[in-house]
Amino acid sequence: MGRRENHQYEVFIRNFTKNEQNLRRFLRSLLPSWEDVDEVLQETALVLWRKIEHYDPSTEFIKWACVVARFEALAYRRKMARDRLVFREDLFELIAEEAQDELEGASLERSNLQKCLSELPADQKRFVLLAYTPGVKVKELANQEGSSPGAFYMRLKRIRHQLLNCVERKLQNQ
Amino acid sequence: MDPRLQNWIEGYLNQTISKSDFESLQKAMLGDPELRHLIRRYLNLDCHLVSEGGLKISDLSFVPWSQSRSGDSDDSQRGGVRKLALSQIGVAAAIAFLLGALAMYWQDFAWKDFANEEKRDAEEGNRDASGQEQFAEGFAVIKNLIDVTWGQEGKGFQIGEILGAETLHLAQGKISMQFFSGAILTLEGPAKLSLNSSWKAYCEKGALRLKVPPAARGFKLQTPATEIEDLGTEFGFAIQDGKEKLEVFDGEVLIRPDGRDTVLVQKGNAIELSQGGLPVAITTGEVRVPNVEGDDQLLQKQIQSDFEKWESYRDELCQDQRLVAFYDFRSDPETGLVPNLCLPRNAEFDGAIVLGESVSGRWPDLSTAIEFKRPSSRVRVNLTTAFSAFTFMSWVRVDSLDRQYNGLLMADGYETGEPHWQIRKDGRMMLSVMVDESKENPYRKNARGFHRVYFSPPIWDLSMSGQWLHLASTFDPEERRVVHFLNGKVVSVSEIEDDYVVRDLRIGNAEIGNWGHPFREDPVFAIRNLNGRMDELAIFNAALGSQEIEELFKRSHSRRR
Repeated sequence: MGRRENHQYEVFIRNFTKNEQNLRRFLRSLLPSWEDVDEVLQETALVLWRKIEHYDPSTEFIKWACVVARFEALAYRRKMARDRLVFREDLFELIAEEAQDELEGASLERSNLQKCLSELPADQKRFVLLAYTPGVKVKELANQEGSSPGAFYMRLKRIRHQLLNCVERKLQNQ
Repeated sequence: MDPRLQNWIEGYLNQTISKSDFESLQKAMLGDPELRHLIRRYLNLDCHLVSEGGLKISDLSFVPWSQSRSGDSDDSQRGGVRKLALSQIGVAAAIAFLLGALAMYWQDFAWKDFANEEKRDAEEGNRDASGQEQFAEGFAVIKNLIDVTWGQEGKGFQIGEILGAETLHLAQGKISMQFFSGAILTLEGPAKLSLNSSWKAYCEKGALRLKVPPAARGFKLQTPATEIEDLGTEFGFAIQDGKEKLEVFDGEVLIRPDGRDTVLVQKGNAIELSQGGLPVAITTGEVRVPNVEGDDQLLQKQIQSDFEKWESYRDELCQDQRLVAFYDFRSDPETGLVPNLCLPRNAEFDGAIVLGESVSGRWPDLSTAIEFKRPSSRVRVNLTTAFSAFTFMSWVRVDSLDRQYNGLLMADGYETGEPHWQIRKDGRMMLSVMVDESKENPYRKNARGFHRVYFSPPIWDLSMSGQWLHLASTFDPEERRVVHFLNGKVVSVSEIEDDYVVRDLRIGNAEIGNWGHPFREDPVFAIRNLNGRMDELAIFNAALGSQEIEELFKRSHSRRR
């Protein structure tokens, strides 16, 4: 890798890592599942890397990346099987437009959520993190506890509700 | 909450929704920015939790998640257990979350036990009862309507109304709208136009003229055959006989016919496009685009003529025997008072403006309104007459609902037989009459004042800030009925139950736009000024019927919101 390329690589890695979370969030609003999000995020990363020399450092990386991600998501959407549940194009565009505008508040929202998570009683916090742990199978967990997936979801619902209210409250006070 | 919507969202997140239900969900989302925002918020939270989640699998057997689940249990799924992968758990969690959130969202529109709500408000003080952040959304505002007939497929709009992701069906006439990006679009019917954002619209049918100032450069108009990007200019576009025609009057535009490179069209050129075909140059002047010259003057003339018609009708209304007071808030230069226009003239009922500012009313530059922005603003009146029923009717422009209770017309002492007419922070109209001041207050412990508050569903939200609304409420002990009206239409009817009937009604000393003399020394209720304007207030000693109120609305509205 030459010096120039080396520099570009650094620019790319630094910016991409910093913004990956926001890109995932943006794509999640457009695509029906996490698998789709991962797929498109990979494509987006490749395109961004290929085009990194066109990136103007005076503009925000995330804005540029969102334009690419939106395009990739749209292309992916068109390729998706017709029977998949993808948003029609006008709604897709509308959501993309709005989701992009909302990115600014993302980091505040994230830090609020972290605070809210830490305020949860210990057992509730463990529970909600458990629900998002890779590889978790609800059936097995429920069986272990002699309970049902229904009870699992009901409890999850309550905690999420609580978290949402907490994030909302914090936002309002800010 | 609407159970159908609940099922659709569950189905979408589970990927089990039927095609037709998915269509319906999308339709609901297209027309409802709040719903889209809400769904995004839950997906965002899902996102955060996915990145936060991550206990070690080895820890899992020690997680006592089921210990405190009493009351959580839903046995309906016992025996029907499915294996779920991470993403599905996320999805399921999102569903559960959405349900809760949607319940909150819907609660604003549901009919509830309002009495309990007021009790809770009283306990909670000035806190926003919904706990939700407020927001307003839209892409454009309607500037002008000329001889418009709306198509039956869609709804109609008024001047000043904010447009979100709407599809406009125009049977005939002309609409002019300004996008929040700054672009001005004039559409002539028959036409069909969808707004996608402040920067993008889709024209499927009709003729239009688009003017894009420098700040709105990049505005895109999509059409069945192409996309037209305006580079700061004025152009006309029409779909005539199945062909799309474009003429650039000033500046230049970029077009992107399907699957082809961009084509630049400059000032003084006209082209024709067919789907998938090449653009072909045509002679200028061939494109039939809306002519906008003189539209503003025409609108002004219409407004002037409507205003004059209303003034002459109002003179008749002022002779109505049932009318006790009518204020147009134009103060008498000699006395400084707001005269009661009701005939025969009774100067005793004139109002005194305290810190209220005289501003433009719903007929710009023609009528006067009073603004109650400062916490001490008010108009004081003393209506010393006996009433057997009430009708309060006013044109009100709410800028925002800053207080828990925002006064419209409030009797000073709120003594037996006296009314309070106001709007609550969540946008509901409220009318109450004190039934017996010596009996216990049903809403507050250890307090006096037996009364009931009759609420409407929410009639205002932040997106309506600055719009003129025609509000009316009637209190009718004879028919045992309280009715609230918005823009001439009934929005709620409540029965006056046996215990709450009060026949000898009065107003006495009262305030318009505020309540300066609360009957309790309670700071929570001390400030009730309305952050907004009032243009005309009529007080009748009778409960007007719905037809009469609709008629009064129609005659007195000014074509704009």
